[in-house]
Amino acid sequence: MQAGLTALLHDAAVLHRFSDFLEEYCKEQERSQRYVDASGDFFKYTEDLAREIKLELRRDIERTSLFPPRIAASRTASLRRKMLTLKDYLRLLHTLIKPAADAHTLSIPAPLINLACDQLRQIEGMGDSRIVVLLTPQLMYFQRPHTHVKQQAALVEKFVPQVLFPKKLGFIELPYSQGPSFFTNLAIYHEIGHFVYEELPSLPSSNASFTALGLARDHALMEFPRLRRDRQVRALAEKILESWTQEIFCDLFALRLVGPAFSFALVEILGMLGSLSSEAMVTFDQEHPAPACRFAEQVRLLRQDSWWDAIAHIEPEQKKLLERLAKTPRAKYKVYAGDERGPEALMRPFLDSIIPAIRNLVRQVTPDAKSVAKRFRETRRVIEDCLEVGVVPHAKTATPLDPVSIINSAFCFYLTKLPKIVTKFEGGAAERNVGTRSKWTGKLEDWTKKAIEDSQIRRQFERTRRDGPL
Amino acid sequence: MAPIDLQDRAQYLSLALFAQEMVSVLMEYVDENKSENLKSALEDALNSLELGGRVTVSAQRKVAFTSYEQLRTLQEVWSKEERARATQMIQTILRGPQNPVAKPAANNLIDLFSKLQDQALWNFEQPRPVSPGTMQRLCKLA
Repeated sequence: MQAGLTALLHDAAVLHRFSDFLEEYCKEQERSQRYVDASGDFFKYTEDLAREIKLELRRDIERTSLFPPRIAASRTASLRRKMLTLKDYLRLLHTLIKPAADAHTLSIPAPLINLACDQLRQIEGMGDSRIVVLLTPQLMYFQRPHTHVKQQAALVEKFVPQVLFPKKLGFIELPYSQGPSFFTNLAIYHEIGHFVYEELPSLPSSNASFTALGLARDHALMEFPRLRRDRQVRALAEKILESWTQEIFCDLFALRLVGPAFSFALVEILGMLGSLSSEAMVTFDQEHPAPACRFAEQVRLLRQDSWWDAIAHIEPEQKKLLERLAKTPRAKYKVYAGDERGPEALMRPFLDSIIPAIRNLVRQVTPDAKSVAKRFRETRRVIEDCLEVGVVPHAKTATPLDPVSIINSAFCFYLTKLPKIVTKFEGGAAERNVGTRSKWTGKLEDWTKKAIEDSQIRRQFERTRRDGPL
Repeated sequence: MAPIDLQDRAQYLSLALFAQEMVSVLMEYVDENKSENLKSALEDALNSLELGGRVTVSAQRKVAFTSYEQLRTLQEVWSKEERARATQMIQTILRGPQNPVAKPAANNLIDLFSKLQDQALWNFEQPRPVSPGTMQRLCKLA
């Protein structure tokens, strides 16, 4: 047996074993756990792909006997390269499978995920979209999206055409320690924004605005004609602008769907990650615009959508921080790439040309938010009254409470009135007890989740009664 | 693999898959005389090579060699001359797949795309951050 063939057989056996494991592991998850939304579809895809790769391996080994001796070595090397490439694709799926398997319904805030999925499907063109939830070991929100898994899946289909990646499948990621919590997990709306962003070319509502955003980015780059001299450097500039664009899009998208609670959650998360220093607030990096810039855009949108007026009754530190950051003069913004100063010249066209195009695009894609803010104003008191006496918020009329009103009322309550219920239920001395505060935060989150679930079930019941069963 | 790296690493894997597609199609053509997918694959490659780096952002998703990671890999492994040679060879095959010079050109292309695939797989395994030199050039040119 020629040396190349021995190595090929070895590689094939390793890949076969790896595929076998993934296939069995995915089957086992489907059997043993309950998942929200599309995790089952993702496991099924991996299972099918692993099975087909094993068959493809057999076909490739058979092909080796047909290679003319003159070129057998080089062809065998090509097959080894193909196996390595497929193995690396499976490795990429491997990094998603375990976090997806860990995210069963008992370990994640299922009512919030279900609500977010419902809202996502109401966006024109996203009706058939599905979400896979991942529980990550990183204490990190706002990770970069998993867009390329889909691009690679499309390329893999050329070698394994029997297995198609599920259409309109998105991924969202939660740190496993935060799985059961509610308020910080509102960050999933930002991640859903990444999913929608990658689907924008196919959304009917976004056509003109998406093209306008593309043109704004092209024009921004044209402002630097010297970049044409160096393709790699130009690609880097494109990459940075694209990352900043996506981040602002996703923030504004989240805000339109879930209101100011998203901004409060973002403040909580940045605080948790220790990123609230004055220096960090004004610093753009290669992936993210400066938090001050992000918050300035958020406050602007909240004002336009009447949300800012709707939360005028509360003045927690988080809101003051938002206001202060939103007023940061842009002259203070800096760009850093690692420890070095970065391409600051990119900031001006980004702020002046690209951000206005993002604002328009978000408005085109998302539903009107003013009516949601109005509903919040009308029902806030009812919800707070329930929370104040330790009861799951519920409607006083036949109309179910709006989930976005529940979320924002509960978040405002958490920011301003938590000590009140701690004192009420545990006594005045407990107000300074951190453990007790944490316990009541958990209870508040549980009531909020239950209220959302009740509201969703009530709506489903109303829908079924009106339209008949699906 | 840290999930934070997923996106950048994935760009290298996409390039490896793209190169694999080219190699597979060319092997089918040379070894088995099959050319069903040859034209479209070669045209994609040609577009990518000709447009890469000059394509507008709005049209970027349609071609390879547009992301920073992919361009970096291409420049690491193919010299300017090799890029020009690859373009010529693709055009030769597209003009006349039955021409006697087409199959030797295809064999040479297999070698070139294999080299590219090896480098893309290596970069997927050992990704490196943006080099300070490239960042400095961007600061200077922008």
